[in-house]
Amino acid sequence: MHFIELNHISHNYQDKFVLNDFSVAISPGKTTCLIGPTGCGKTTVLRLVAGLETPSAGTITINYKIVSETGRIIVPPHQRNIGYVFQDLALWPHFTVRENIAFGLKARKEKNIGNRIGELLDLFRISDKTEKYPHQLSGGQKQMVAIARSIALQPEILLMDEPLANIDTHLKQNILEHVMQLQQRLNFTMLYVTHNHREAFQTGDIIVVMNEGKMVLKGTKDEIINSSDRFIKSFLEN
Amino acid sequence: MGKFSSFISGILVPLVFLLSSCQNKNQVVVYTSVDQVFSEPVLKDFEIKTGIRVRAVYDTEETKSTGVMNRLIAEKDNPQCDVFWSGDPVRNGVLQSKGITFPFQSVQTNLIGEAFKDPENHWIGFSARARVLIYNKNMTSSDSLPKSVLDFSNPSYRGQFTIANPLFGTTTFHLAAIFTLLGDEKAKYWMDSIKQNGVIIAASNGDVKRKVMNGEIAFGLTDTDDAFEAMKESDAVGFVFIDLEETGIGTLIMPNAVSLIKGAPHSENAKKLIDYLISQETESKLAVSCAQMPLIAGVKVPENVPSLENIRPMKIDYKSVSGKLEDIQPWLKSWLEK
Amino acid sequence: MPAILLTTLVAPLAFLITDWFTQTDKSALFAFLNRTTLLLIGKSLLMAGLSAFFATLAGGLCSFFLHKLSFKWNRFYKIALVMPLLISPYIFAVAWNGGLHLVLGNDASIFSSAGVVLVHSLVFLPLAFIIIGSALSQINATYEEAGLMLVSFKKMLVRIILPLVKPAILISFLLVMIFSLSDFSVPAYFGVQTFTTEIFTQFSALYNFPLAIGQSVLLLTICFAIMFSEAKYLSDSPFFTISLKGNTSKKYSINRGKGFLHLWFWFLLFISLVLPVVLLTIQSSAGNWLIIKKAWQLLEPTFGYSLGLAFTGTVIITLSALWIAYTARVYNSKLPNSLMMIIFVVPSTVSGISLIRFYNHPSLAFVYGSFLIILLAYLGRFGFIASRIIANGLKQIPESLMEAALLAGASPVKIFFSITIPLLIPSLLATFILSFILCWGELGVVIMVYPPGAELMNIKTFTISANAPLALTSTMTLLNLCITCLLIAMFLLTGRVLFKKYSYAFY
Repeated sequence: MHFIELNHISHNYQDKFVLNDFSVAISPGKTTCLIGPTGCGKTTVLRLVAGLETPSAGTITINYKIVSETGRIIVPPHQRNIGYVFQDLALWPHFTVRENIAFGLKARKEKNIGNRIGELLDLFRISDKTEKYPHQLSGGQKQMVAIARSIALQPEILLMDEPLANIDTHLKQNILEHVMQLQQRLNFTMLYVTHNHREAFQTGDIIVVMNEGKMVLKGTKDEIINSSDRFIKSFLEN
Repeated sequence: MGKFSSFISGILVPLVFLLSSCQNKNQVVVYTSVDQVFSEPVLKDFEIKTGIRVRAVYDTEETKSTGVMNRLIAEKDNPQCDVFWSGDPVRNGVLQSKGITFPFQSVQTNLIGEAFKDPENHWIGFSARARVLIYNKNMTSSDSLPKSVLDFSNPSYRGQFTIANPLFGTTTFHLAAIFTLLGDEKAKYWMDSIKQNGVIIAASNGDVKRKVMNGEIAFGLTDTDDAFEAMKESDAVGFVFIDLEETGIGTLIMPNAVSLIKGAPHSENAKKLIDYLISQETESKLAVSCAQMPLIAGVKVPENVPSLENIRPMKIDYKSVSGKLEDIQPWLKSWLEK
Repeated sequence: MPAILLTTLVAPLAFLITDWFTQTDKSALFAFLNRTTLLLIGKSLLMAGLSAFFATLAGGLCSFFLHKLSFKWNRFYKIALVMPLLISPYIFAVAWNGGLHLVLGNDASIFSSAGVVLVHSLVFLPLAFIIIGSALSQINATYEEAGLMLVSFKKMLVRIILPLVKPAILISFLLVMIFSLSDFSVPAYFGVQTFTTEIFTQFSALYNFPLAIGQSVLLLTICFAIMFSEAKYLSDSPFFTISLKGNTSKKYSINRGKGFLHLWFWFLLFISLVLPVVLLTIQSSAGNWLIIKKAWQLLEPTFGYSLGLAFTGTVIITLSALWIAYTARVYNSKLPNSLMMIIFVVPSTVSGISLIRFYNHPSLAFVYGSFLIILLAYLGRFGFIASRIIANGLKQIPESLMEAALLAGASPVKIFFSITIPLLIPSLLATFILSFILCWGELGVVIMVYPPGAELMNIKTFTISANAPLALTSTMTLLNLCITCLLIAMFLLTGRVLFKKYSYAFY
């Protein structure tokens, strides 16, 4: 058995199939990258795992427990112990950096919130921005806050939806390395969505190539590069 | 929602208290279409004198009394109002025909002459207004004004005069009275000829007053109270009685009219209020405040208030005028839209 | 909640229409459907359409100038242009009727219909300005810049900006058309017959209830058809938006034509604000303390009650609108919104009569005969507009902000109060202020249902105005105007202080 499993998942959005009989298994403690062209259903996979969408068919298992099945959510999102970095980061504009990170901790009535936040801020090198509002931060700092917020609750799974889409290469490199170190240290399972295969090759232990709601190939970086599949070849050339 | 509900109750609770404190038993509810400037002081005096709280709904002839009239009709099955005090008997007639009024007779109502009350006492008249001509002294002189409304069709007055919307208020009443006196055929001919003579239709009697006062037009037909108000406001305005000649149709006299509402929730207080309105005291006050002519003999009036003896009232039966009014309204509507 | 809404607001109307349908003699039921009526409807629609066209055109131009060009006095014009909203249409009618007469003499009456269109265009210009302006300020600068890289400014304007604000332009047009169609005071003053004055005449001169209600049902159907197109095609587009992300829109500096712009705005301000106010001031024989004192003595006792009612009504409207908008978004329930729309388009006299017929029952005496009936009237009249403003505010909040909170373990209630509400504060404040202005000035329904003995400031100003000296009524109107301005300034200041934390949203 694998840590996260999607079995024969179909999902439609406004009468259009986004995923069609899609199955994938994700190993624990590893980073799995989902790549594919825009609109291939990558983000939907993340939202299904998070419990933000209900599958129209199939089952989803996390940690050997069924969390969603056809037409219903069994374990609600906040009980799945998942961190999620949204594509638009979704930093609450009316909260400061500290409040953004503290929100989940307070909601779960954790202890030592002050210390935990302090540690996270240090870890992400944003200690001097504690009382700033999101709109007062630079792009890179916002990414840091978003990632810090998502791991504040020490999730077992971290979902990242193209978090580095609009960032310059140098900064992107920095943050990527930071995230990878973090993953090794905290040993969470990471699902990373991107349309950029170079980013995927750098981060992913396992890479899943998707197209039109279906899985094309799952494998290591080398397996993907050496694949003879025509779609993969053309995708990698772009 | 905790914060919000406490916030709301913080506002609502005091309001409820404020209102419930008003709900004492010793009260009377009056709906009136008489201008608030004149009616409110009279009602306040009644409150002081009797200790009965008056809860009034005011409306104005300016809005054609839509508020109170439609309210009274809509409330028919569960009346809230005790007394309806109208500026003219027409509206009371409409209510009577819809079964909303109730007859009332007392020592006070007996002071009023038969001509100024309903034969069955569904409404009783008091203090009267007359229809008069107001004119702008800068544009014409009192000598050159028409002596009768029938002269309005004279070409020399072409485009110089105004009347209020004939579908509403005292104007309708005046026209209905003319129709009753002249007969439909003659009256319609006269109406058509004043239309051809370029009559300007104002929105209301108040608007007639405004137009003449501002010098937009030389003269117009309106009520005594409007004329007196205009003279207070502007030196350029004067007024004359019309149709005074022996052979003419006579001046239209319109009394205030008060009715007891059928099923009035506070009928005892209502009767007290009606008796108060039909008294020398009230008539004398209305004579001072808006130059209304008393109908009870022996009421002292200021010098500027005309007395009934000096004018020749139009000889009409208010009930038949009310009936005529309902008959001619569709025609008046089409006349207006022509 | 839907049940409460249904019974308190929709039931009276349903009751009235059923009553009309069952009680009226069947042959008389559709007596109003004749050639004259249809011609009249055509004329009214044409006039309302023209008013809507001019208001939207002028309002659109103003919002383009003020939101897209940077020049001196920009902020002043923005505020001054909205001010006419506080002046009742009736006052415009008086001012302009006088104005027309001055220029044209007795021939002015020929231009009455044009006068009505002119006054309506002026009265509703601020509405068009607000709606289109908010849409313009929402356009992301990059869209325009991307366009400018490829084509000239003029072409970009036509091909990029105009299509982006098209929904706002349409909504402004439809709303103004409805408002113009259902206004009674202006055409009545100008002596122009429209379908609404016709209904009014049937009610108040002829007391022909069946006919009047029949005609109202027809008017209702027309308005509903107009609004339905809005609901069906445009409900997903911004209607009245308060920017969440700060001012991201692009402004262009101009070198030539500034003189023309100032001329344009001063011209508009003169005819829509300066003229009526100056006229009122002249009529009030400005500075006569005795008259001001008298006017204040008349208004003062009404102040507390009016303020309490308008405030409570506004709070109720804002909360109901929040609920309607929220359920529409979260549960995808469109029913409350459609119900509010129907009530919104009912002519005020009909609305008043339906409220009386339904609530004037011994068991409901605590509603009819108390302030509750006025609050209901307010809610019915303005709940729809309020809910649309909040719905668009909600639409501005990215779904991911709520989802992030959900993943963090917050309960739906917690999410509502700590994420949704704070982010909605700009919209809530705008809704609050607009609703307050509308409640404070509402006359049509309230005059029919206010409890005996209650004194409301605008009703008193109105009922006193008959036969009181012009100077007194003008002073009362001016006082009312000043008080409204003061109250709104106070609300805005309180809002800014209370919600300082969210100042990012007010840029």
